[in-house]
Amino acid sequence: MGRLRRSRTHKGIKDISKKYRTRRRTKDLDQIQEDLKPENRERLARREEDPDLPGLGMHYCVECSKHFINDQSLKEHKRGKLHKRRIKLLKEPAYTLEEAEQAGGLTTDNGKGRSQPNIASSLLQKKKENDMRKESMALEQNPTTMLN
Amino acid sequence: MRIEKCYFCSSNVYPGHGTMFVRNDGKAFRFCRSKCHRNFKMKRNPRKVRWTKAFRKAAGKEMAIDSTFEFEKRRNVPVRYDRDLMQTTIKTMKRVQEVHARRERAFYKQRMAGNQEKERAQNIKDIQTNINLISTPTIKTTQQVQKIANTEKQMDIE
Repeated sequence: MGRLRRSRTHKGIKDISKKYRTRRRTKDLDQIQEDLKPENRERLARREEDPDLPGLGMHYCVECSKHFINDQSLKEHKRGKLHKRRIKLLKEPAYTLEEAEQAGGLTTDNGKGRSQPNIASSLLQKKKENDMRKESMALEQNPTTMLN
Repeated sequence: MRIEKCYFCSSNVYPGHGTMFVRNDGKAFRFCRSKCHRNFKMKRNPRKVRWTKAFRKAAGKEMAIDSTFEFEKRRNVPVRYDRDLMQTTIKTMKRVQEVHARRERAFYKQRMAGNQEKERAQNIKDIQTNINLISTPTIKTTQQVQKIANTEKQMDIE
């Protein structure tokens, strides 16, 4: 038997295609990491009531950049899987344009005596981490050969 | 005019190509093609997508540490035009590219070294464990010969 189902049937899923439009873009991880700094967090906590937001904007989860209608639902959200996954994602430093440029072999030189942005670390640090992990895995598999 | 780098895959974005997205906090993201833009919109992390430069370099698939990377720089201080400097720069660019290509090749060779032996050992292991799947050619040919003989006999009967 051949294929019974039509192919390319996902095009009309409206909620998904709308979700990924730039107009509806939600906060990125690097923006949220900025929000999580103590001074910004305080500012976010001292919000004024906004009738356009759910729950007048009084119940806000900073990590997920999401408003909730009341305290109970906020608490419930914080117990949940999505919130915990987000916290895990936020522990790593966010991907930046500088990292992308460095991966492409481009760094910044602002001339002598000017401050050089310290970007050399992120990519190489990641590489070092991966190398360490690889080495430890190899060591686990055959400890005798690696030691020689 | 500048040749920018793609935010997602770190390839070059030439003037007049690609898309730029400016986030509502004023940060600009450039993309070399719609593929990269789409992946960005899906909030994928370029470090985890295997075809990006960020992944390949971090995972040790490509050369990440080398002195030839020290030449290409985004220089925010303008340099006064100097004919000799221009000439030498263009000459060095070519030379640096050559050296870089050679080192990249050497790196690839070193990365792939020992793969052939590994593959051969794996093949031998596969054959040893699944020897029952292999029928010897002599049996096969005799079977075929017999089949042909049978059909001929049937045709004779008819």
